[in-house]
Order: sequence, then C-alpha cells, then structure tokens
Amino acid sequence: MKYYLQLGVILMVFCVIATGILAYVNSVTEPKIETLKAEEAVKSREELIPGCDFEEVKLRDDFSYFIATDRETKELKGYTFTSQKKGYGSTIKTMAGLDPEFRVIGIKIIDQSETPGLGANCTKESFTSQFAGKTPEQLVVDKDGGPIKSLSGATITSRAIASSLKEEIEAIKADLDKKQEQEVAE
Amino acid sequence: MRFFSEITKGLIKENPMFVLVLGTCPTLAVSTSVINALGMGAAVTFVLICSNIIISLIKNIVPSSIRIPIYIVVIAAFVSVVDMTMAAFLPDLHKALGIFIPLIVVNCIILGRAEAFASKNNVLYSLADGIGMGLGATLALTIVATIREILGSGTWLGIRVMPNSYEPMLVAILAPGAFFTLGFLMALMNRLKEKRA
Amino acid sequence: MTYIGEIFVMAMSAIFIQNFLLSRFLGLCPFLGVSTRIDSAFGMGMAVIFVMTLTSSITYLINVYLLAAYPYLQTIAFILTIAALVQFVEMVIQKNAPALYKSLGVYLPLITTNCAVLGVALLNTTAVRSDGVTPYNFLDSTLNGFFSGVGFTTVLLAMAGIRQRLGLVKLPKYMRGMPIALILAGTMALAFYGFMGFKL
Repeated sequence: MKYYLQLGVILMVFCVIATGILAYVNSVTEPKIETLKAEEAVKSREELIPGCDFEEVKLRDDFSYFIATDRETKELKGYTFTSQKKGYGSTIKTMAGLDPEFRVIGIKIIDQSETPGLGANCTKESFTSQFAGKTPEQLVVDKDGGPIKSLSGATITSRAIASSLKEEIEAIKADLDKKQEQEVAE
Repeated sequence: MRFFSEITKGLIKENPMFVLVLGTCPTLAVSTSVINALGMGAAVTFVLICSNIIISLIKNIVPSSIRIPIYIVVIAAFVSVVDMTMAAFLPDLHKALGIFIPLIVVNCIILGRAEAFASKNNVLYSLADGIGMGLGATLALTIVATIREILGSGTWLGIRVMPNSYEPMLVAILAPGAFFTLGFLMALMNRLKEKRA
Repeated sequence: MTYIGEIFVMAMSAIFIQNFLLSRFLGLCPFLGVSTRIDSAFGMGMAVIFVMTLTSSITYLINVYLLAAYPYLQTIAFILTIAALVQFVEMVIQKNAPALYKSLGVYLPLITTNCAVLGVALLNTTAVRSDGVTPYNFLDSTLNGFFSGVGFTTVLLAMAGIRQRLGLVKLPKYMRGMPIALILAGTMALAFYGFMGFKL
C-alpha cells in the first residue's frame, strides 16, 4: 500500500511541475495570441472597407456585424461581417464587406482547413475576387445555376462559402429593415 | 567522438522514418508542402531533444513501474509549450499543422527514443540522440514533402520550379499520394540496401 | 427524427468520408503493424472501438467541466486520461472477463500511443454538427468516438484481408512488407475518395 502511495505521489509531483510550467508559458503566450487575433480582425476589416469607423451590432449569440461609417464625413460606407459554415472537412470562416446596397465589396477567407489542393484553394485570389460586386441573390455557385464559378473538385467548399454569405447578408438586411420600421413607427 | 556518431546514426543508418518506421502519421499528414514539413520537423526535434534530456536526467529517480506515464507527462508538457509558442509567434504555420502538433505526444518516435535510448544513456548522448533522430525525421519529412509539393503543386517551398505548362498532379498532395510516395521511397531504400549487400 | 439524420451523417463521415486512417492519417502505426492477419486485426479493431468510445465520453466531460478555464492543459490531461483508462480497462477485463482479456489483452497497451484515440478526443472538442455551428454535446461526442472506431476497424480489416492474400503474390524482395502495405493503403485511400462526392 505504502509503495503505491509513493508511486502516486511521484506521479503527482511530475504533474504539478508540468502544470506549473504550462501555466507560466500560457500566461506569456495567451495575451500575445489574443492581440494577434484582434489585430488581424481589425486589419481585415480595414482592407475590405478602408478609412472607416466600425460599430458592432450583435445579432445572435455567435454572430455580429459591423456598420462602417466614414471616419471624416460620418457617411454610411457599408457593413462587414464574418460568416461561418461547415465546408467539406472543416468550418470555413469568411469575412466580407458590403456596400450600403448590400452588394459584396470583397471577401476574405479567414479560417479553413479544407483538403489541400482542392478545397483549400478557396483562399486563392482567383476564387475570392469573383465575389466582388455580387448581390445576395447572385451568391449561388454554378452547379446550382448561379454565377459563382466553383473550385474544381470542391463544390461543397464553394457552396458553403457562397451560401453562408448569402444567409448572413439576408439576416443583416432583415435586421436593418426591422430597425428602420421601428424608427418610422416612432 | 561517440557524441557525433550518435547524431549521424539518426540521419541514415537508423533513420526513424524509413528504417525504424516510427511516427508515420504526421509524416504522411503534414508533408503536403515543404514549409509544413520543416515546421513539423522543427517541432518534433525540439520536443525530442528536450524530452531526451529531461528523461535521461530523471531516469534514476523514476520507479520503473510508472515510468511510461511520467515520460508521457514530460513529453506532453513540452508539446504543449511548442503548441502555445507556435500559436503566438508563427500563427500561420500553427494553423497549417493543426491537430498534428498536440499529436506529437503520441508520435512513437519520441516515446520510443525515451524508452530505448534516453532511459539508458547519459545526458550528453541522449542530447546527441535527440538531435540526430530529430534531424533524421525532419530529413525524411522534407524528402516526402519535396516530392509531393513538386508533383502536386509544381512548386518547392512556394517557389515555382516546374514550367508553367506543367499541370499539377493533384493526387500527389491528396491522401493517396502520401501513401504512394512513402511506399515507393521505402522500396527504393530497400533496393539500394540490397544492392550494397 | 432530425437527430437520427444527424447520427447518420456522423456515421457516414466518420466511417467513409473522413476515415481516420485513410483521410486523416491518424492511427497508422497499429494499422501498418497489426494488419498482417485478420484475427489480430479484428482483436485490435474491437479494442480500439471500445477505448475510443469510452475516451470520447470521458474527455468530453473533462473538457467541459474541468478544463473550461485551462484549455492549455488539454493535451496533457487527455493523454493521461487515455493512459489511465486503458490501464483500468485492462484490469477490469482481466478480472471479470478472462476470455475477452485473452483475445484483446495484448492490444490494449498499444492503444495508449495510438494517435487515433487522442485524435478523436481532440477533434471532438472543436467538432460541430452538420449545421456548422452547434458544438458536439456529450452524446454526439460519444457516438463520434464509436463511429470513428468503426471506421478504423473497417479499413483495418479490409487491409488485413488483402495482406493475408499477399503471401500468394510473387513480389520483388524490396517491395515486400512496408512498401507494398503503404501502396495498398494509397490505393484504398484513392477508392475512398469515391465517397467524397456525398453531400451530407
């Protein structure tokens, strides 16, 4: 019995030391990771709609969009948001910028781990650039009769990106319409 | 002198990948591009060196009946350190390697070397063994990745090496290509050994 | 009713579309090591299904209730859980079901270092249902562990079946053993790509 207790204590000591080291490393790296993420989000928004202030609007627990107003003229420049949907093997996160008429200004794939060589090509400029100027109705892949040319061998990935954007744009639109109606009613 | 021979043996004679056939999973999974292979190789080498050193230092105070769990704790701690450091300083690479970083814990190379070498040798030789095995694994990863990246994307380390008319052979960077590449490489190694004998 | 559909999707993708061995490259060491005979492959497969299911449910609880504030301890906590679990299962089986122990016993210790087991535990923490947002709950995780194990066993058995017959084939000496096994695995992976077109 005493022998087992001794073994347990030794194992425990090792675990405690390991946990201590990890806690220390985590305290150093965590803030760094956080700022990196925040910086990246700000940078991506700035790239999509430059020179604007962004105001966050929370729509659902897991989704919020940003209203972009010009830093100087305070004029409405558009909206940005990050949609997510399951693609082929991973959840794809796409950030998009919209103009005030809800046409896509540009999109950027933020996070994906789709199949290298197939779905992973969705980050390429040749794929993302075709989204520019599309209305939400046009966000349909060619396999479903729309104008978005899907990636070869990765229809599921392409469809996931297009439909996730479409759904969220419609959600934002509905939210804004509702707010406007409320304002009119008041 | 033995210090150097412990390093060099890991490169070819006892290459962990080709000869000992340890740690196949990450080799196949992350060898889609050379940059991933180098990143993975560096991570494995780092963990291997650290765990070899620590394990050879503690080999006398660890009761043999619980040595495996203790080795695993040591290895898992270093792996987590690598994981967090990479996320903070090399976020893109961290994303590309994904789940295979935490999975270094169960990479048989590391536990295998801890058990077969570090627990029996002194710190200096264990360090040498760690460097050698780590470099050997990196070398193997890089060779597999070189073949796959050139065939599958027409590039090497992201730089285009094939003529523009070359239509990349997609299958090389997909899962089947990984198995084929490693299979043929091993056959080639066997063939060379046969000839020499 | 929708949940049955969800389970079907999960089963199909764990067994065929995102097979652990052929498309995720997890658990290759035992795959190449014990796939030379059907009976040992079957024993290994059953042991893996058993441990993967248990691991998935226990690591889910640990992750949600103990590690919520300490995500950086995930790797170390999961691997210790698996090691302890395997050890515990071994003791229980040895005591209560000697017949089962005789057939599974030798494979159990190998499972600790099977990366498919740690892999499923880690993947479960970030996995989402087919709608792309709902994270896995306890039952989802457990089922996913089970189906992933089934996927592993399916391919392991198929491979063992092929390799058993390889003895009848005249191969050049340098192709025997590992090289041909890898090339076979590649061919199987290619065949499994046929499932990729499924839209689930």
